Amino acid sequence: MVMKKHKKIASSAVTYFILAAALVWTIFPIYWMIKSSVTVNSEMYVARPPLIAQHYTLDNYIELFTETEFAHALFNSLQIAGITTICCLAVSILGSYAMTRLKFPGRKFFKTSIIFSYLIPTAVLFVPMYVFVSKLGFYDNKFALLIIYPTTVVPYCCYMLMSYFKAIPYALEEAALIDGCTRIKSLWYIIMPIALPGIAVVATFAFTMSWNEYLYAMIMTTSNAQQTAVVAISSFKYADSAIWGRIMSASVVTSLPVAVIYIIAQGQLISGKSDGSVK
Amino acid sequence: MIPIVLIIFGIMGYPFCRAIYLSFTDKLVGMKEHFVGFDNYIKLIHDKIYWKSLWNTIIYTVGCIAAKLALGLLLAVILNRQFKGKAFFRTVLLIPWAIPGMVAATTWRWMYDSTYGIINSILITLGLTKVGIPWLSAPNITLLSTMIVNVWRGIPFFMFSILGALQTLDKQQYEAAYVDGAGAFKQFWYITIPSISNVLGITTLLSTIWTFNDFENVYLITGGGPLYSSSTIATYTYDMAFIQNNFARAVAVAISVIPLLLVLIAFYTKSNKDT
Repeated sequence: MVMKKHKKIASSAVTYFILAAALVWTIFPIYWMIKSSVTVNSEMYVARPPLIAQHYTLDNYIELFTETEFAHALFNSLQIAGITTICCLAVSILGSYAMTRLKFPGRKFFKTSIIFSYLIPTAVLFVPMYVFVSKLGFYDNKFALLIIYPTTVVPYCCYMLMSYFKAIPYALEEAALIDGCTRIKSLWYIIMPIALPGIAVVATFAFTMSWNEYLYAMIMTTSNAQQTAVVAISSFKYADSAIWGRIMSASVVTSLPVAVIYIIAQGQLISGKSDGSVK
Repeated sequence: MIPIVLIIFGIMGYPFCRAIYLSFTDKLVGMKEHFVGFDNYIKLIHDKIYWKSLWNTIIYTVGCIAAKLALGLLLAVILNRQFKGKAFFRTVLLIPWAIPGMVAATTWRWMYDSTYGIINSILITLGLTKVGIPWLSAPNITLLSTMIVNVWRGIPFFMFSILGALQTLDKQQYEAAYVDGAGAFKQFWYITIPSISNVLGITTLLSTIWTFNDFENVYLITGGGPLYSSSTIATYTYDMAFIQNNFARAVAVAISVIPLLLVLIAFYTKSNKDT
């Protein structure tokens, strides 16, 4: 009995030790980002900087919004990610419904190609994509991203949504369909309410995918007016040296919206992930 | 529905086919291309930096995946236990996955800084090293520096996927095993691992493709340098296209790894069908 108790204490000590280590490892870079964003320059650029700053300032944030066009870049990000999410969701909901419920020739081919196009890496596609989109006349234009992002976001959304829709029993719809309800109505009134939590998770991912995307945003938008937030951050330099205070404050501002969305969606995420993508 | 699918295929498919064609030409930025056959690929075979990048990409992918899988599994098993503050840990440990990859890379780049970086400062204070480690400038360390960041950001994905699978497991199996005298390790090896092997497989394959594909980490932390020491296929493609302005060779670099990826994707679709 006593042995067992000792063993239990030891095992929970190990648990907390590992968790504490994981916590430090996870949190420290975040802490350092936030700390650097509110540190005065005289304390920032010293060899062996102290872990905790002596003087705090909000100057980096104030300068970020008064002296740079970062607010505009945030707006660009919001605009691109928002439009991408809405369009892709609309297309994917209809598409996934069709692919799980309707029988049409080539269905299997479409399903496989969706997985393939989700998995083909950006690293392979970005140069030809750049040539293609520039030829369409979208050079240095943020709306080029509205053409590019759906090519990864739609396959992803379809892939996730198809497994949600598949899990909804067909019997639920059957009665309504026999009574003469159209497919669209059945999708809207029967499937959508049930799948709503799943759709919310997919929307979260679609939004963050576009908000966070760096490579295409960097090669497609070069002028300040067209840049998205993540690209704007990497442009904060004097000559060749980075302005770290400004970069870190911009990083905090850019991370905040997606981090908040993720934490809210977290509970959903666990159930959503396990029965959505994986099973 | 079908027209939209066709448009997407057009947007994906046209550049893709064009890419294959371009790789057989001598296209430079702003010039008309001529057909040159396998010239670009033959040049790649003699290109030392290409082989270096390919090798780096393989080390990067295998190393990162191994670390993420091991640590993600460990944390998932722990989070699946009952203890105080579980919800707190679950939320906080998710954060690296929630912040943009670009922000993660930039923050680590700042922490690695040779003069003002906090990591060296801590290591010296703790007495672990006398002089700072040249995270961004020593050719034999730079690749490791970028890998650490990929692992940092990638653990939560493994952790959450595995945790989701663990939560669906049947407790009775463990009770039966316990009665039969199986220890914790045996239970883990013979019950847990086989029952979550599907999730492990799919998570690993998905993450392998993302890691293989990782551009911003390497590009923002070391830029593939110094002297291409941390160059990967993704950054070398970028370098070829936008620094050396040789689109045709860039595309050839990218296309040369497709067979490797196809093998992975084939694995993926096959294992996905079984579930």
